[in-house]
Amino acid sequence: MKRLTQLSAPVAALALLGALSACSSGSRTASGGGVYTTIDAKNPITAGAPMNPFNASGTAFIGYNTMQLGFDKKNALDPNDFFPGLAKSWTSTPTALTVELQPDAKWSDGSPVTADDIKTSMAVALTQGKAASGTALLTQGLDVAAVKSTGPHTVEIDQVAGAHNIGFTRLVLTQFIVPTKVYGSLLPADIWDTIAASQSQDPADADAAKAAVDKLNAAGQKISAFAPKSDVSAGPFVLTRVNPGSAVLDKNKYFYGAAKIAPKQVVVRHYTGNEQIWGYMTNGELDSAPYTSIPSNVLTQIQRAGYQRVDTVSYVDAAIAFNESVAPYDNRAVRQALAHVIDRQTVTKVGEPVGGTASPATTGLIQSAAKQLLTPEQLAALDPYTHDLAKATSLLEGAGFRKSGGKWMLPDGKPWTITLQTVNGFSDWIAASTVIANELSSFGIPTKPAVTADFATYQKEMADGKYPVGWWLTALGPDPSAAYQRLYGTSDGYTAVGAKVSHASGKDSGNWVNTPTSYTVDGTALDPGALTAKLSTMAPADQKPIVQQLARATNQELPMIQIWDYTNVQFTSPKHFTNFPRQGQDALLVNPPGVWMMQGYVQAK
Amino acid sequence: MTAPTLGAATAAVPPRRRSTSWTAARRVVLRKPGRVIGLGILVFFALMAILGPYLYPGQLAVDPESIYAPPSGAHWLGTDFAGSDVLQEIVVGARYVLLTASLSALFTAVVGTGVGLVAGYHRGLADSVLMRATDFILTIPAFPLLIVLSTVWSFANPLEMSLVLGLTGWGGVARAVRSQTLSLRERGFLEAARGLGLPTRHIIVKELLPNIAPYVAMQLLLSVIGFIGAEVGLFFLGVVPFSSSNWGVMLNQAVFAGGAMNSPEALGYLLAPLVCILLLTLGVVLFLDAVDELFNPRLRERS
Repeated sequence: MKRLTQLSAPVAALALLGALSACSSGSRTASGGGVYTTIDAKNPITAGAPMNPFNASGTAFIGYNTMQLGFDKKNALDPNDFFPGLAKSWTSTPTALTVELQPDAKWSDGSPVTADDIKTSMAVALTQGKAASGTALLTQGLDVAAVKSTGPHTVEIDQVAGAHNIGFTRLVLTQFIVPTKVYGSLLPADIWDTIAASQSQDPADADAAKAAVDKLNAAGQKISAFAPKSDVSAGPFVLTRVNPGSAVLDKNKYFYGAAKIAPKQVVVRHYTGNEQIWGYMTNGELDSAPYTSIPSNVLTQIQRAGYQRVDTVSYVDAAIAFNESVAPYDNRAVRQALAHVIDRQTVTKVGEPVGGTASPATTGLIQSAAKQLLTPEQLAALDPYTHDLAKATSLLEGAGFRKSGGKWMLPDGKPWTITLQTVNGFSDWIAASTVIANELSSFGIPTKPAVTADFATYQKEMADGKYPVGWWLTALGPDPSAAYQRLYGTSDGYTAVGAKVSHASGKDSGNWVNTPTSYTVDGTALDPGALTAKLSTMAPADQKPIVQQLARATNQELPMIQIWDYTNVQFTSPKHFTNFPRQGQDALLVNPPGVWMMQGYVQAK
Repeated sequence: MTAPTLGAATAAVPPRRRSTSWTAARRVVLRKPGRVIGLGILVFFALMAILGPYLYPGQLAVDPESIYAPPSGAHWLGTDFAGSDVLQEIVVGARYVLLTASLSALFTAVVGTGVGLVAGYHRGLADSVLMRATDFILTIPAFPLLIVLSTVWSFANPLEMSLVLGLTGWGGVARAVRSQTLSLRERGFLEAARGLGLPTRHIIVKELLPNIAPYVAMQLLLSVIGFIGAEVGLFFLGVVPFSSSNWGVMLNQAVFAGGAMNSPEALGYLLAPLVCILLLTLGVVLFLDAVDELFNPRLRERS
């Protein structure tokens, strides 16, 4: 995937999850630990972009100079399993999370990380609901009501009264922690009153709540655009220089675990597309590389250059999404017919031959998660939507479509053409789009792929409802709640605060999927958004019945057609550094190399 | 009185003149092997553009089991990232590329020549107005404009692409033709024509145009090369909706999806459209020599 080129789609997905598998690589050795060279999976270097993790193009690198309280291990059995970050330990109750900060945690200016910094960071996070593209998922359900200092190094973070968000711990631990001395002045003095007003569930306070949300959003936009004069980091590195071609981060001597950090410097390279990342690797310039879509022929060259391949599970699936407010994609039979026309096996072999497995069925989950959460009987009952042109023809004819001169005509007699939107630089999506366009055109629906300049623009324009048909990343996990929020969350007009679920559609609502608010599955009506919101309040063991309902509904209604499940293929180079995480150490490998280093991995040779 | 006489004379001449023109043209082309090769290349690609889609009707076949297969009897130029036949993509893609470039060049020649002739011959207000319009066109950065337009226009039809390319490309021709017209209008034969009271249209079309035709013809051929580069570049950048049967898209896919710069397997896929563009350029350049001599009697006399 490029375009970005840019980023690879999986990379972007991992970025969205806050579980980047960024990588680093080593290069010329300086005295001490040497220079670790890598790229950041989240975004390329944008010259002039602020050193601000809340900016969509900000020069901020998770695990290096951007810290969290903890780093998600992506443990499917325990959603609250984390590596310690600025939090040394934590305890959860149904209504609050108590965090013990690392006693030696300091900012790169030598001042300590305090409870006040945590409070400021939570407030900033709550302003980011709509302020920055791509952050909605992170803040969905972040029902922080208050942050209190309960000891020299302990902080209590309270959940909104009445809320029982099972992901509360995960959401709190994965927020970016920023210094009050830098970001505090950007927050309104009455920020916590505003937050409280925005979280009101009393219908009588609806107008006040809306005004409060608007105020938070306004503050969020201001914070997103903020450009600090210098980087103040609590992570193992601090940003010292940004060139158009790279960002340079030096080791932070005040980092609480500095003794474990081997590299003296990290250089994060800029890239314009996947092919540039391939070039870095075939030239042996990176010490490690995060997931990048790679064709088989390039994989051979990368391995010849001495890189070791490490595969881990990826809770990401590439799908074709529809805007159901646009005809004929509001018609279920049309979506089902298209699913029968697209040969997922062929598309995957061409688009994602190294890091992809064709999706057996659309459920909203990756296949390994579906196997865990659905019974064998339920799995067998799913419609796989096999490549079957006769069935597609039958479905379309049943929906009133007619073929004329080898081309399908809409029920109103007008020609039907499809523009399949993808992203510049996402080489896998582009290659796959070519095959899909070929298949659909051969079937009688003239289809052309179109590319958007970059992923940030793509996400924005997607949210604005500009693309009737386009690629989307789904099945984000391992928490099924996150996976279904991708389908029936903010992009489908649903928001949830506490137990209150609301739905919006139309301009500026962010709703571009536009599914109906009610599906009838096996004779039973269900609201997918309400069920998805309910998922986020349930313990993993209790989620199965709802997941099963949603999987069945998604398989029937096809708001998106899942094409392939990703495998998180990363590369490490033993040229300059040793002791990289190995195959099987998934908890580490789903995190960026900065987190590996915090755990004592990546040592100079 | 004069017109019927001229008309009668002209009516008597055509068979001989046509025969003479064809003979002269043939002699000019055959005089140097390079010209024959140039013409041969142009005819080859023209036939490819005309007949290509008939040779390969239907959609490209995808074969994921033979991705980047080397040249073979089944696939003379090998296969691409999807296992599709590269030769088929080249042949089918020729029509869009050549039709777009030809139409753009024609548009540029017609508009540029018309504007230049009228402005140069009339001078005064017409000249001022037309030249300001020309200046405006010349200030438009054509390629960035195309990139911007591609966000709202799909360029699915060669006519759309050629219209935009032509609209932004005629300024230079108009300026040059105007300069030549200003020079020619002071010559004796034009003063005589004006003295005879011949209508303006006759003077422009019958007297001026033949004298600048060599320049226009060469400009037309050269702009074909430029427009091929522009449209292929646009597709190469990947900023317009695409189908794989397009030379620019082939270049894009070879570099950005196939890793042609990092892996030798995709090199054939990259080189196929590149060689076609190079061959076309070579054909135009070689044939230009013949065009120059055809339109320039002095060159003919010297040889």
